[in-house]
Amino acid sequence: MHKTYLLDSLDELRRHLAQSHEIYQVVPQSDGARADFHWQQVGGGNWPDLVEQKPLQSPKSFFFAEQEPLYVFDGETFEEVLPTPMPFVLFGVKSCDLMAIHYQDIFFEEDPYYQARRKQGLLVGVDCVTPCEQGFCQLVNAGPSVRDDTADLVLHPLDGQRWMLVVLSAAGEQALHGLALEEASPEDLHQRWENISHCEQSFPRYPYILEGIDKLNQHAISDEFWQQLGIQCLGCSGCTTLCPTCSCFATRPIESASSQQTSVTQVRFWDSCLYESFQREASFHNPASEAGQRVKRFWYHKFSDDFVPEFGRYGCVGCGRCEATCPGVIGVHSVMKRIADDA
Amino acid sequence: MLNLTPVPIKIVDCYDDGENTRHYQFAIQETEQHLSPWLKAESGQFFMLCLPGVGEAPFTFTTLPNAQGDFRALVRRMGSVTDALFQCGVGDIIGARGPFGRGWPMERLLNQRILIVGGGCGIAPLASVINQLIDSQQFIQLEVVYAARNQAALMLNPERARWQHLIPIFNVVEDMAGLSDGEFYPGTATGILPKVLHTFGEQPDTVLLAGPEAMQTAAAEYLVAYGIDPKSIFLSIERRMHCAVGLCGHCYLNEKYVCSHGPTFSWAELLQYDIAC
Ligand SMILES: Cc1cc2nc3c(=O)[nH]c(=O)nc-3n(C[C@H](O)[C@H](O)[C@H](O)COP(=O)(O)OP(=O)(O)OC[C@H]3O[C@@H](n4cnc5c(N)ncnc54)[C@H](O)[C@@H]3O)c2cc1C
Ligand code: SF4
Ligand code: SF4
Ligand code: FES
Repeated sequence: MHKTYLLDSLDELRRHLAQSHEIYQVVPQSDGARADFHWQQVGGGNWPDLVEQKPLQSPKSFFFAEQEPLYVFDGETFEEVLPTPMPFVLFGVKSCDLMAIHYQDIFFEEDPYYQARRKQGLLVGVDCVTPCEQGFCQLVNAGPSVRDDTADLVLHPLDGQRWMLVVLSAAGEQALHGLALEEASPEDLHQRWENISHCEQSFPRYPYILEGIDKLNQHAISDEFWQQLGIQCLGCSGCTTLCPTCSCFATRPIESASSQQTSVTQVRFWDSCLYESFQREASFHNPASEAGQRVKRFWYHKFSDDFVPEFGRYGCVGCGRCEATCPGVIGVHSVMKRIADDA
Repeated sequence: MLNLTPVPIKIVDCYDDGENTRHYQFAIQETEQHLSPWLKAESGQFFMLCLPGVGEAPFTFTTLPNAQGDFRALVRRMGSVTDALFQCGVGDIIGARGPFGRGWPMERLLNQRILIVGGGCGIAPLASVINQLIDSQQFIQLEVVYAARNQAALMLNPERARWQHLIPIFNVVEDMAGLSDGEFYPGTATGILPKVLHTFGEQPDTVLLAGPEAMQTAAAEYLVAYGIDPKSIFLSIERRMHCAVGLCGHCYLNEKYVCSHGPTFSWAELLQYDIAC
């Protein structure tokens, strides 16, 4: 049984965590016409409310940096450059994004750069009590409630402005040390399960997603279909950038010269399997020269049974961001609907 | 935890060996502790060559690292990294990471009938296995097919000349201009297979292929039609690589990564993937 506590407000918890951690939270950010929600450092006694909206960007870059140095060459030797972030808390991560972090934890298990960041991060999840727009986390076992092995602490909104705090890991328990908290009652626990089950039942059914996954795994989708979709893909990499489980990268050197010497830093940066040059070899042989092959690759990586043995689940966590960002019609809903109807 | 940082290596020697191709000898400039992973390198595995300020690219060992950290590789000039290498001189320090990937299935080659087919630069990943077999003499029969486009494209000339005295070598060249019949056969690697297979008393137990993907798949299909089990045919697959350790995604082949699950695969494994060529 997990320890569960009650909080009258989130401030006391954040104040406590802030003594030893930097705190990041999703805050609204409006750039003129449209409002978005982004991860940002918060603090200084001014704690913003937890927003219900899912942020445009998942917290992927906290652990798998958009660009980072790998090593430096000074003319004679190569020195590894590992990141050294301060301990930090991601406060209020949605269940789907937590599942994506869990997925990346497995993928990057042996990656020293990812792990150097990851060991500094404490994950405070939050259960969703209403389905988000285009989300289908419940179909891929990623939400709407936080899974037991994906966070350190979980928040759940109860009635009367109160919150329930669930401790899921030893790191979570350790982080609460020194904070006197009242334990939650069986009624509060009951309320959590009621809320979650109500939320699960309020999701639209999206039967075409399950049908699409099934067809994909039966290999029942024609190459012509993928080719058609490939032609519609602009190769903009919006989906791969926003998808919380996408993790492809490329490397390149950056030279810097000081008065004494020139040094070279090898950096890695996010890449996209949808780019034409992704697999192009120096000889110009390109095993993925067709746009259709590349789009097919993306969707297989998210939904093929072939990847399940390694990760215990599909690559998609149901956040719906690909749909929200694609300027064409290549998000998960559009693609799966078309597969179900006519692939 | 993985280590993605290169060790410094020195260019010890190099000579031209085929059109735009050089055979290099490198020496790892490191302590014993850094050397130990390199001493475990296997034929068919590869390393990343790092030209600081230019980039990294994968190459196979033609000679595996020895106790002093010396190893060799045959490099064909194709783009920025190889251009920069060709501009370096003996004594220059560059970098290397490795060894990576899965090598040839050496345990299947012991006291067997073995056919080896290399096309163009594809002879590079086969060189060390051929040398190892010849040196140990632990085979029943060993024959090598080497295919090149024309005279200028013939590679590993000194090595092939040495092998020629010890085992049957079939050198096939598409454009025979300047070459004599007798020593060379006109045609392609797949074209000569019927003749080569005929020289085997019993059909080969294991076949190793390396070279352009289209050549390898055509040869594999022919060998299967001839009656060889797809599990006994091994290919060396090339893909664009950035990390070499199964993280960057570039070298994908279905749910596998060529850098870590390959570059050698059995034809039986590859038949399950959509290998596009
Ligand atoms: C396992 C393996 C073993 C190999 N063994 C050998 C061998 O023994 N001998 C041999 O001669 N060759 C070998 N090759 C082929 C060799 O790796 C390539 O020819 C080599 O990458 C050429 O590098 P380059 O600098 O000439 O090419 P470049 O095109 O300049 O590539 C250099 C760098 O840029 C990247 N790059 C390539 N194309 C692009 C692009 N379109 N956009 C952005 N970046 C790009 C590459 O990934 C690499 O990081 C091997 C390849 C593999 C996969
Ligand atoms: S996909 Fe599910 S877990 Fe993610 S924000 Fe939407 S409702 Fe919440
Ligand atoms: S594929 Fe789309 S819905 Fe699935 S995790 Fe990625 S962005 Fe979210
Ligand atoms: S080279 Fe990066 S995954 Fe194979």
